[in-house]
Amino acid sequence: MVERIVGMVLAGGKGERLYPLTQDRAKPAVPFGGKYRIIDFTLSNCLNSGIRRLNLLTQYKSLSLNRHIMQGWNIFNPELEEYINLIPAQQRVGEDWYLGTADAIYQNIYVLQMDRPDLVLILSGDHIYKMNYMEMIAYHKENRADLTAGVIEMDKNLSRHFGVLQVDEEFRIVGFEEKPEIPKTIPGHPDLILANMGVYVFNTEILVRRVIEDAKDPDSQHDFGKNVIPAMVPQDRVYAYSFRDENKKTAKYWRDIGTLDAYYEASMDLVAIDPVFNLYDQEWPIRTYHPPIPPSKTVFFEEYEGGRIGGVYDSLVSGDCIISGGKVIRSILSPKVRIHSHSEVRDSILMDGADVGRHVRVNRAIVDKGIRIPDGYKIGFNLQEDAQKFMVTESGIVVISKGTILS
Amino acid sequence: MEKVLCVDDDLSLLRLYQDELREEGYKVILAKDGKEALAKFEKEKPQVVVMDIRMPVMDGIETLTTMMGKDRQVPVILNTAYPQYRDNFMTWGAEAYVIKSSDLTELKQKIREVLNKRKKRAKS
Repeated sequence: MVERIVGMVLAGGKGERLYPLTQDRAKPAVPFGGKYRIIDFTLSNCLNSGIRRLNLLTQYKSLSLNRHIMQGWNIFNPELEEYINLIPAQQRVGEDWYLGTADAIYQNIYVLQMDRPDLVLILSGDHIYKMNYMEMIAYHKENRADLTAGVIEMDKNLSRHFGVLQVDEEFRIVGFEEKPEIPKTIPGHPDLILANMGVYVFNTEILVRRVIEDAKDPDSQHDFGKNVIPAMVPQDRVYAYSFRDENKKTAKYWRDIGTLDAYYEASMDLVAIDPVFNLYDQEWPIRTYHPPIPPSKTVFFEEYEGGRIGGVYDSLVSGDCIISGGKVIRSILSPKVRIHSHSEVRDSILMDGADVGRHVRVNRAIVDKGIRIPDGYKIGFNLQEDAQKFMVTESGIVVISKGTILS
Repeated sequence: MEKVLCVDDDLSLLRLYQDELREEGYKVILAKDGKEALAKFEKEKPQVVVMDIRMPVMDGIETLTTMMGKDRQVPVILNTAYPQYRDNFMTWGAEAYVIKSSDLTELKQKIREVLNKRKKRAKS
């Protein structure tokens, strides 16, 4: 018998530490890699794994996310019982927003009742990685598990940032600690921990029972990692699945892009000569919305002294960009970016429709959608001055938020 | 005195609950559908709810969901002639599921269990 599997994608993350990129959009809708949104990576994993029944649970600032899903992911065939549902927090069960990851499922039990899947795959819509969920599901079945949690090996010094799972020799989970100072390491590997990825395979009936119990517990924070898994460990078959990376590099790649600096670093990795995260693997395509836009172009090749040269080096350029007599170095351009004459953009991320005037210098900046940078403007050269007008991160990245008017 | 809210569209059954549960020492409140039950639930704050599923106006499943939205710890005993609802996830929020019978022994037993569990929880 083929199991019926439904994916529940938690896409309501506020992404407070990514502010101001999350000023007008939920974290899964934040642009990444020029033409993608963060959620495209998880949804591509589903598609590439053959999981085509998906419920996206949204809540805060979901307009931009909804539009992206409608435009780019409306590809499922209802005749084959495939679907992607956008489910806003409906306050069907009480008047609370989702109180935690487990509560998001609890408040949507009726969705599971309507579909009655055998297994539920719970995913976070704001992580970047490549994973074949069917391998995890096969492992889940092999172990006759009630719950299998995806884990990634990490250096034990990073334990303060993650939920850490403790396992026995068979990889059965025997304990869980949230962000411990002194973590329990992997048996036989005293330097490594298993970090919880927030990827769960549940037998549906157990899931429903456990989230109802959790909902009734007034002391719970209603989180899978903090509350539901620890409550299941003594009574259910709970296993860890060591994440097998489809990215095929030496180190496994899985990022929760939690902060602006982490966002910047993960983005800049993409423009490296040999990026850790490979967007060019034809066996693992990353899908997104493709608007009907023209190719990008560069303009001017005036090979004389003082002449203008429009050029792009070590960069990602999306469609419909015009680089006209300016230079772009180690940067990421989303669609419809304009760079005008005598300007230079270095080590920066320019989102859709950003317009860089003439004689502009941009250095180590994130420029959100539709920002017009006037002629002669300098960004990222005097951080003290920049900090009076814009957000400047700890590592000195200037972030110009959507709607900012520069003069 | 502990309050039991009984919800059923069968009025003769409601009268039976009233008589028998009063004898057990409970204060009994009656409602003939889910909507009325919600109003009485808010006003009377019962310690336990005994509720039918198939009812006009608002059925027991929707009523249970709404009650749990107001108070997640509310103990509801679903009391129905239809065993098939037991498989419906939306009934799993109830503390117990009892098949209707004119003999109320099982129902009374479940009410006691639920109240004891609630007391234990309040103490801990």
